[in-house]
Amino acid sequence: MSIALDPAAISAAIDRLADEIFLAAGGDAIDFVGIRSRGDEVAERVFAKLVAKGAQARFGVLDISLYRDDYEHLSSNPMLQSSSIDFPVDGSHIVLVDDVIFTGRTIRAALDALFDYGRPAKVDLAVLIDRGHREIPVEPRFVGEHLKTDRMDRVDVSLEKIDGKDSVEIITQ
Amino acid sequence: MNLFLQGGEVATENEDPQRADVWVVDGMIKAVGVIDAPEGARIIDCRGQIVMPGMFDAHVHFREPGQEKKETILDGTEAAINGGITGVVMMPNTSPSVDSPTVVKRVLEQGAKCRIPVLTSACITVDRAGHEMAPIAGLKKAGVLMLTDDGDAVPNAALLKRAMEYGTEFDMFFASHCEDPQLCGPRALNEGPVSYRLGIQGTPALAEEICMDRDIRLAHATGATLHIQHVSSAIGMETIRWWRDERGAKVSGEVSPHHLMFADEDIGDYDTHYKMNPPLRTRDDNAALLQGLKDGVFRIIGTDHAPHTEFEKSQAFVDAPNGITGLDTALVSLHDRFIATAEFGWDLIVKRYSAEPRRMMRLEVAEVAEGKPADLIVFDPNKETRFTKEFMKSKSSNTPFLNKTLKGSVEMVVLGDEVLLER
Amino acid sequence: MARKDFLDIGSLDRAEIIHLLDQAVPFKDLFTRSVKKVPALKGKTVLMLFYEPSTRTLSSFEVAAKRLSADVTIFDVPHSSVTKGESVRDTIDTLQAMRADYIVVRHRLAGQPAAIARQTNASVINAGDGAHAHPTQALLDAFTFREVYPEMEGRKVVIMGDILHSRVARSTSTILDKLGVEVAFCGPGSLVPQTRFKRFTNYEEAMAWGPDAVYLLRVQKERQDAPFYPSDREYHSVFGITEDRLKEISDKGIYVMHPGPINRGVELCDGVLDYDRCLISQQVENGIAARMAVLFGLKPDLKNELS
Repeated sequence: MSIALDPAAISAAIDRLADEIFLAAGGDAIDFVGIRSRGDEVAERVFAKLVAKGAQARFGVLDISLYRDDYEHLSSNPMLQSSSIDFPVDGSHIVLVDDVIFTGRTIRAALDALFDYGRPAKVDLAVLIDRGHREIPVEPRFVGEHLKTDRMDRVDVSLEKIDGKDSVEIITQ
Repeated sequence: MNLFLQGGEVATENEDPQRADVWVVDGMIKAVGVIDAPEGARIIDCRGQIVMPGMFDAHVHFREPGQEKKETILDGTEAAINGGITGVVMMPNTSPSVDSPTVVKRVLEQGAKCRIPVLTSACITVDRAGHEMAPIAGLKKAGVLMLTDDGDAVPNAALLKRAMEYGTEFDMFFASHCEDPQLCGPRALNEGPVSYRLGIQGTPALAEEICMDRDIRLAHATGATLHIQHVSSAIGMETIRWWRDERGAKVSGEVSPHHLMFADEDIGDYDTHYKMNPPLRTRDDNAALLQGLKDGVFRIIGTDHAPHTEFEKSQAFVDAPNGITGLDTALVSLHDRFIATAEFGWDLIVKRYSAEPRRMMRLEVAEVAEGKPADLIVFDPNKETRFTKEFMKSKSSNTPFLNKTLKGSVEMVVLGDEVLLER
Repeated sequence: MARKDFLDIGSLDRAEIIHLLDQAVPFKDLFTRSVKKVPALKGKTVLMLFYEPSTRTLSSFEVAAKRLSADVTIFDVPHSSVTKGESVRDTIDTLQAMRADYIVVRHRLAGQPAAIARQTNASVINAGDGAHAHPTQALLDAFTFREVYPEMEGRKVVIMGDILHSRVARSTSTILDKLGVEVAFCGPGSLVPQTRFKRFTNYEEAMAWGPDAVYLLRVQKERQDAPFYPSDREYHSVFGITEDRLKEISDKGIYVMHPGPINRGVELCDGVLDYDRCLISQQVENGIAARMAVLFGLKPDLKNELS
C-alpha cells in the first residue's frame, strides 16, 4: 500500500480541474453531474470553486446502479440511491464528473443514464484521477492527476465528506 | 419351534414390566418366569428389552379393493408386522365400499392370505352415502362386528337413529367419525391462528364436538353401543367422559398417535404430511388428549393408518388428500414421545393398544403368560429406528416421521408357530 | 445474499422490508424522467403466470418489468392445458424449459406459489395466492403510508371489510405491524376472525380508536360460499364510508386507502375518490415502483440446475 495523494495534492488536483474547466467554458454556463458515490463529492467541490470564481454553474447527482453491466456477477444487487438532477438536461452543457477513471465502463453506464434524462448539447468528462487501463474508447477531457498503476492494483479514494479524510491510496494485489 | 427369550422384561396391561424369561414351543407359551435355558431351545438375548403381547390396531385403511396404488391388504399387514402389530380392523371406505356381504367376503379372503389376522368393519349406510341402510344382518353373518361410515359422519340423524335401533338387535356396535357436514368446511386443517395465517378455511373443533354429542345422544336413547373414532379435541374427549360417567352411556373413545403428538402449527409452510381429518388441533388439545388416555376416557389407541401416494400428497395443501400412515411408526413413536419421557408406562400401551382393542372386537386377549398362544413382540428401547421409505413396509410413506430417527425398535414379532419379524 | 423468491411478508425481517421500501424510492423518481426505463434487467425474461383473473396486478407487474427492460411473457392460463387437468407440476416442467428468470404467480390456492418456487430455478414472486398472501400489495401499501407518515412507528391503521377472506388484510397487517404501526381489524363479526390484532365489529368504535388511516377492503362476494352479511346495502349502511362518514373522516384528516378494485356503494361512496386524503391512485403508482424494487432485488438461481 502506498499513499499516492495526500490532502494537499488532492486539493491541488481539484484546483487544477476547476481552473481548466473555467477556462474551457469561456464564460458559458456549466452543469456539473457527479457520479455516485465520490464522483458527486469531487463535482461538488469543483462546482464550489467555480461558483467562487463567479461562473454560472449548476450541480446534480447521478446514481448509475441500474445501468451497470455486471449484475450477474454480484451475489446481491447494489443498494440504490436517488439521482438528483434538478435542471433540464436537454440542450445543456454538462461536465460529467467521477473520482477515478479506469476501464471506462462506469462512464459508459453514466452516459446511458444521463441520456435517459434528456439530450444534452454537449458532455465533457472530468476525473480526479486517471489510472489508465481503458477497455472502451472513453477519454476524459479534464484530469486532476495521472497515476501509474498496475492492471491488478486497487485505487482507494477517500474524500472528506463521505469518508472523513482526503487521501488516495494504491493497494498492490 | 423352540424359542427361549432370555432376560427380558415382560410387560402386561396391569403393572410395570417384570424381569422374566419366556419359553415358546410350537406356537404356545410353555413357561414364563426366571428359568434355566431349556436344552435344544434357540436362545434370544432379550436383556434390556421389553417382551409384550402383539399390538392390535382397530382403525386402518388398506385401500383394497379399489385404490391399490396407495396400499393393499398384504402391504398393510406387512407394515403392521413391521411396527409390532399382530391384528387389524379395516375401515370400509374402499371402492367399492365394504357395504355388502360380498365385499366383506372378498376382503376377508384377501386378509386370510396375510400373516396376521385381518378383520373388517362395514358401512352403516349403502356406499357410505347416508341415504339407505346397509344390509346389517347380512353383514353380521359375513363376520362383521363394527359398523361405521368412517371418513364421513352419517349426515342424517334420523337414519343413524334407525340404524342403531335396528342394528343393536344383531349384536353389532357402531363407530362414529364425528363431523358436522356444514360446519366442517373444506376439511383441510383446524380453524384457528394457523388456518388464518395460511389463508385456508379451517374446520372448527365444534364441527366434531357437535356431531359427537349428537351421536352419543342417539346411541344412549336407542341403547346402542358406540365407539367414537379418532377424537381430536379436548372438549370432544370431555364429552365422552361426561356421557359415560354421568349418564352411563355405552360409549368408548379412540385416540390416534398423531392427535397426541402434533398440532396445527406443525403444518408450517403447507406441509401435507400434517394434513388429516379430523385435523390436528392445538398443543392444549394434545395435552388434554394425553390426560384422557391416562384417565381411560380413551379405551383404545388406533392409528387411522391412511396411505396416499407421493404424487397425491405433493399437491396444493387444499387439494392433497387427508391422512397419514401409522402402522410402521405407531409403537416406536409412542415410545419415543411418551414412554422414553416417562409420561406413561408400558402397561398403558399394552392395555390401550393390545388388550382393549381385542376385547372391543371380542377376541381373546393376547398375553405373555404360561399356556397362552404365542402372540408377542420384543421391543428394544435403547435402539433407534430411522423411518426411511425403504424401512417402512407400507406402500405409501406419507408420514411426518419420514426420514426421522426415533428412539426404540421392534426387534422381533412372533405369532403362533412363526417368527414374523426378526431384525 | 439476496433472496431467490418473494412469497410472503411473514418471512421478511424489518431490515429487509425497510431496504425494499428504500429501494423503491429511486424507482419512483424515474417516473418523472422523459425516459422511464432503465436497463437493469435487460435480456431477462419475466413470465406472468396468472391462474386467476387480474388486470390491475398483472398490468402493474408488466409495467414494472418493462421499465426494468425485461422481456415479458404472459402465460395465458385459462386457454392453456391447465384447465384440462394438467397438474401445476407438469406446467412448471414446461415453463422451466422456457428459461424464465422471474415467474410472477397468482393462484386461487394458498401455498401454490411456494410450491412452484421449490420446483424452479427462476425467482418466484407471489402476486396473490388464495386468502394467504399478497406481499407486493403489502409493500406498496407500506410505501404509500410511509410517504404520508415518514415516521410510521406508533401510527394507527384500521383495516376494514372482509378480513376473513382477504390476502391483502393478512399481508398488509403483517408488514405494518413489522414496521411498528398499530393495526386493527374492523368489519362484520362473521368476517373478522380472532387474531392478535385489535378487533372491532362496530364502525364507530373503530373510529373512536383514532386511526391515522382507514384501509378499506373490497367485500369479495365471489369468494363466499355462504352469506356472511345480509346484503350490500346493509353492509354499506353499517360499515361503508357513506357521505356522512366521509365528512367525519375529512374533519379528522384521516387518510383512506384501498387495494382496488373498488365497489362503489358498498365499502365506499363516490365522494371518497375525490377526497384529498384518498391515497388510492397513489397506491397504484407506487405499486409499479414497489414491484420494480422487488424484481430488482431478487436473484434467480440460474447456475444450479434443480433436480
